[in-house]
Amino acid sequence: MIKYLLKRLFWMIPLMIGISLISFFIMHLAPGDITASEASFNPKASEESRQKLRELYNLDKPVIVQYGLWLKRMGTLDFGTSFASHQRPVFWQKTDDQGNVSKGLIQEALPITLLINVLSLVMIIAIALPLGVISALTRNQLPDRAITLFVFIGFAIPGFWLALMLMYWTGVANDWLPISGLHSLGHEHMGPVAQILDTLKHLILPVFISALSGLAGISLFVRNGMLDVLHQDYITTARAKGLSEHSVVYGHALRNALLPLITIFGLSIPGLIGGSVIAESIFAIPGMGKLFYDAVLMRDFPVIMGILTIGSALTLLGNLLADLAYAWADPRVRRGVMR
Amino acid sequence: MKRALSNPLAFAGFVIIAGIMLLAIFAPLIAPYDPNAIDVQAILLPPSSNHWMGTDGLGRDVFSRMLFGARISLMVGIVAVGIATAIGIVLGAISGYYRGWVDVIIMRLVDVMLSIPTFFLILAVIAFLTPSIWNIMIVIGLTSWMGVTRLVRAEFLSLRGREFVMASETLGARDGRLIFKHLLPNSLTPIIVSSVLGVASAVLVESGLSFLGLGVQAPQASWGNILTDGKEYIEFAWWLSLFPGLAILITVLGYNLLGEGLRDALDPRSTK
Repeated sequence: MIKYLLKRLFWMIPLMIGISLISFFIMHLAPGDITASEASFNPKASEESRQKLRELYNLDKPVIVQYGLWLKRMGTLDFGTSFASHQRPVFWQKTDDQGNVSKGLIQEALPITLLINVLSLVMIIAIALPLGVISALTRNQLPDRAITLFVFIGFAIPGFWLALMLMYWTGVANDWLPISGLHSLGHEHMGPVAQILDTLKHLILPVFISALSGLAGISLFVRNGMLDVLHQDYITTARAKGLSEHSVVYGHALRNALLPLITIFGLSIPGLIGGSVIAESIFAIPGMGKLFYDAVLMRDFPVIMGILTIGSALTLLGNLLADLAYAWADPRVRRGVMR
Repeated sequence: MKRALSNPLAFAGFVIIAGIMLLAIFAPLIAPYDPNAIDVQAILLPPSSNHWMGTDGLGRDVFSRMLFGARISLMVGIVAVGIATAIGIVLGAISGYYRGWVDVIIMRLVDVMLSIPTFFLILAVIAFLTPSIWNIMIVIGLTSWMGVTRLVRAEFLSLRGREFVMASETLGARDGRLIFKHLLPNSLTPIIVSSVLGVASAVLVESGLSFLGLGVQAPQASWGNILTDGKEYIEFAWWLSLFPGLAILITVLGYNLLGEGLRDALDPRSTK
C-alpha cells in the first residue's frame, strides 16, 4: 500500500508541472501583456497597479525566467496579494510588521466550498443510490421510467435557472428559506445549535443545486451498474444457493455495483469545484466559486491564478484519495498493487 | 440513419432539435419585432396576443429575442463542439495510431486538462481575453476535447488489432490509407454520439456564462442573458425568467435524447 501511495504521489509531479505550464500559458494569452489588457478593461487601472502586475509575474524578465519564478510561486503556494480586496494575501494569512494578521482569501473561502461539496456528495449518495437501485430492480416498469425521466431532466435543466426558480418559490413567494448568504441577521447572538441550524437552512438550496447533475448522473450509473452485475454468473450462483432475493441484491449485487462509484466520485471533483461558481454567485455564498467569479469580474489576476492552481491541486488530491479508497475497497486492486 | 431514427428517443430528440434549428434559421422572418428595438410604451408587459412571451425591462419583445437567442445557442454549441471534435480526432488518432512517446505525452496532456476544474479554466481564459461570442466558442472548444481524444484513441487501439486492419497493413497500405480508409470510418459512431452529447453541455456552459455576464454581451440576445435580466424582475415579471430557462432545458434535453438514442440504435453491443 505504501509503495502504491508513493507511486501515485510521484505521478502527481508531472501533472502539477503540466498544470503550471497551462496556467502560465493562460497568463500570456492576453494580447500584448496582461498589464496592457488590464488597462483596456479598466481605463482607471493606474500605472502603479500595472507596475505591480509586472513585478508580481516578472514580466520584464525573459519568458523562461518568468516561468521558473511562476513555478517557484506555485511550489511555495505564494500567489501574492489581491489587487481588489485591500491587498489581502491570496492564499494564506500573513502577519505584518505590527503583528496584524490578515487572513488569506482562499483560506477563508475554501472551507465553505468544501463543506458545500461534502454535503452535496452526501445528498447524492442518499438520494441517487436508492433511485438507481429501484430503477434497476423495476427495469422498464413505471418506477424505472419515472426515474429515467427525472435523470434526463436533471441532466438538461440549467442549474442557475432552477436556482432562480427555487429562490423565488421558497424565498420570495413563500417565506420558507433564506435566499442569500450563509447567515441570517443576528446570527452571532444565537445559541450554538441555532447557529448551525441557521447555516444549514442557508445551505439547503446551494447544496441541492450543486448536487443536481450528480444526482442524475449517479442514479443512471448505479442503475446501469446494477443491471450489469445482476447478469453475472456469481449472482446466478448466489440465487442457485437459495439466498434470499434481499441478500442477493444488497449483499452481492449492490456491493459490486458500488465499487466503480468511488472512481466516479473522484472524477466528479473538478465539476463540483468548478460548478460552485454558479451556485455560490447566485446565492451570495462567500466560497471559492464566488471569490473566483468576483476576481474574474475585477480582473484580479493574482486571485484568478491562485484559485486555478489550488482548484487543480485539490482535484489531483481528490483523485488520489479515490484511487486509495478503491485499492482499500477492492482486494483485487490491492493485491495487484502490492505485488 | 434510418435505423437511428426508428429509435423513439432519437426521433424525439431529432424533432426537438430540428424544430429549434428551423426557428433559429428563420428567426428574422418569424420574429414579430426587432429583437433589439426598445419601446418605452411597452415595458414589462405580460404575455399577450401582441407579445407572446411578454416584454422586458426595456420594452423589447421577449419572443423575438428568444428566437435570436436560439441562433446563439445553436451556433456556440455546434462550433465549440466542432473545434473540440477536430482537436480530439487529430490528437486521438495520433495517440492511438503511433503509440509510443507521442501517446504518452498526449495522454498526460489529457490528464492535466482534466484535473483543472473546467469552469474555472474557461472563466480564467475569458478574464484574460474579452468576453465575446467568438472567444466563448473557441474557449469552450479548447477546453472540451479530452473526451473525444480518449475515445478516438481507444477505438484506434482496438481496431488496429482487428483482422481487416491487419490484413490491409500486411498488403502494404500506407499510414494515411489505414487511418482514413479503415480506422476513422469505423470509429465514427462513438464520435458522433459524443459530439451530440457535447453540444448539449456546450449549450449549458454558454448559457451559464452569459447568465453570469461573461458570455454573449448585451444588447445581443442570448437565452442566458435574457435570464440575467429576468433575475432583476423576478418578483413581478415571471415570463422573463421562465421562457429562456425552458428553452435551454428543452434544447439540452433534445440533444441528450438524440445522443443517447443514437448510441442505443447504432451500438450493437448496447441492449439496455
